[in-house]
Amino acid sequence: MKNSISQIKKALIEKKISVGELYDEYLAKAKSGNNNSFNLVIDRENNISSINDSQNRYDNGNPLPLDGIPLGIKDLFCTKGIRTTASSKILSNFIPNYESFVTQQLLNDGSIFIGKNNCDEFAMGSSNETSYFGPVINPWKNKNSQKDNLVPGGSSGGSAAAVAEGSCVASMGTDTGGSIRQPASLCGIVGLKPTFGSCSRWGIVAFASSLDQAGPLTNCVEDAAYILNSINKHDFNDSTSSNHQREDYLVDINNSFEKKIKIGIPSDYLEDVSDDILNQIDNTKKALSKHGIEFVDVKFKTTEYALSTYYILAPAEASSNLARYDGIRYGVREDGESLDDIYLNSRTKGFGDEVTRRILIGAYVLSAGYYDAYYRQAQKVRRLIKNDFQRILNEVDFILTPTTPNEAFKIGDKLDPISMYKNDIYTVPTSLAGLPGISIPSGLSKNGLPLGVQFIGNYFEEKSLLQLAALAEKELSFNE
Amino acid sequence: MSDIDIKRISYLAKLKLPSEKEEFYSNSLKDIIKWVDNLKKVDTSKTEPLHNVTEKTVSIRNDEVSKSNSVDDVLSNAPERAQNFFKVPKVVE
Repeated sequence: MKNSISQIKKALIEKKISVGELYDEYLAKAKSGNNNSFNLVIDRENNISSINDSQNRYDNGNPLPLDGIPLGIKDLFCTKGIRTTASSKILSNFIPNYESFVTQQLLNDGSIFIGKNNCDEFAMGSSNETSYFGPVINPWKNKNSQKDNLVPGGSSGGSAAAVAEGSCVASMGTDTGGSIRQPASLCGIVGLKPTFGSCSRWGIVAFASSLDQAGPLTNCVEDAAYILNSINKHDFNDSTSSNHQREDYLVDINNSFEKKIKIGIPSDYLEDVSDDILNQIDNTKKALSKHGIEFVDVKFKTTEYALSTYYILAPAEASSNLARYDGIRYGVREDGESLDDIYLNSRTKGFGDEVTRRILIGAYVLSAGYYDAYYRQAQKVRRLIKNDFQRILNEVDFILTPTTPNEAFKIGDKLDPISMYKNDIYTVPTSLAGLPGISIPSGLSKNGLPLGVQFIGNYFEEKSLLQLAALAEKELSFNE
Repeated sequence: MSDIDIKRISYLAKLKLPSEKEEFYSNSLKDIIKWVDNLKKVDTSKTEPLHNVTEKTVSIRNDEVSKSNSVDDVLSNAPERAQNFFKVPKVVE
């Protein structure tokens, strides 16, 4: 069992370890680079003033909430003075002059960044195979074919693998259609996607702005609450940032619920799934029933339209967002005789296959003659999907689903984009509705690989969602 | 679904696909558009499009001047610059 943030803080307070020693311990693992989970690792010298400041605060008896905690940061967050690539060739030389809102909050709370985690290029992928810097390898192996390298999931695959291999205590990821929850599930860790509008998108390389949301990948639910306490704040620089009152997510996290809780299980999600996946739902149901939680069957009317809606809206927004990469203002320029040639050459050579494909889908569904039939229709169906979730959440407090339809698969196994897109079947609907979702490890498959379940809560009700996840975690924890 | 004019779409996206890859992208795009075509059967005649999922009012800050993004900051990542400008090939004859 890896150490949690509260256990590490206790050791630092009791002087069983120094901030520098702690950093070195994680740095050594991050540097070994066996799973390619980092695009960039930050040497101790470059973090020395943060390490010393943090140690001083411990010595003076007033440490900050995340003081000295070594974190990984998905290479999609702009970090001031530290190369930020989005795992793309076109940004491979980009050094931001500013810090993203979310990472600034983590720095303000005393955490120290170990490095930038590998991810799918511009966060477009479900297996971390689209990165310009090569695929990330899942630290877990199939016990029946130990030699195979498996995908960690994506797009926050480097973040998930880094937490699972122990090269950072937690990592910041982003989730557009499942990019935190799906890799968390395949790597046997916790992944939280907060409600859209909770954590500012300012300074995160944009993919699909109506869906992108930052969130933590951690070893345990309590650690997710620690990180959420730090990053969940209103920000004027993000016009979709909500200015509601935030709660303390650590208080009450281990308490039992005062009222009777009802959880809905969508039976249509469980048609044609493997026994491995069904077992996760059954085990979770059994474990939580012991605590007096009631389970009921619920039925969605829009599930079959979720992936189609997502694969129109997300590429459309990506196609607009990625128009900024032109080889003129930042990023890699490929020369050409005219200005237009520079645009064409820089973009064509700077983007990988999957990003090119998504830009083309987006350009098509937004183009004259197709806009109403595809883009506008998808926005309307998105409202029906949201209404569908609201109807169900009027009947139940939470929804329980599998996180993924399968365990981690072999690198190179899924070549056809549609079969890859289907990996996000359980996470995409929640993203379209903008609701918070958390994936926690729920058990092992027949091949000895980790699987997860997803709990979905109501808008901005992360506090009770984390409370439920913490309760389930205690019952479902398994040894590696 | 009508045929996809991959040359036109890639031009709209400012991409110059190598000719040997045109068919690859064209087929891939056709498959995906066919796959998402099921949305057409959903009755949305009484549904408004959804833009911002939480539909919270956009919060507006006070209009106060703040200092950010100096010229040097903005130009620091430029592939080519000349004094305080981004440098590009001549665009006016």
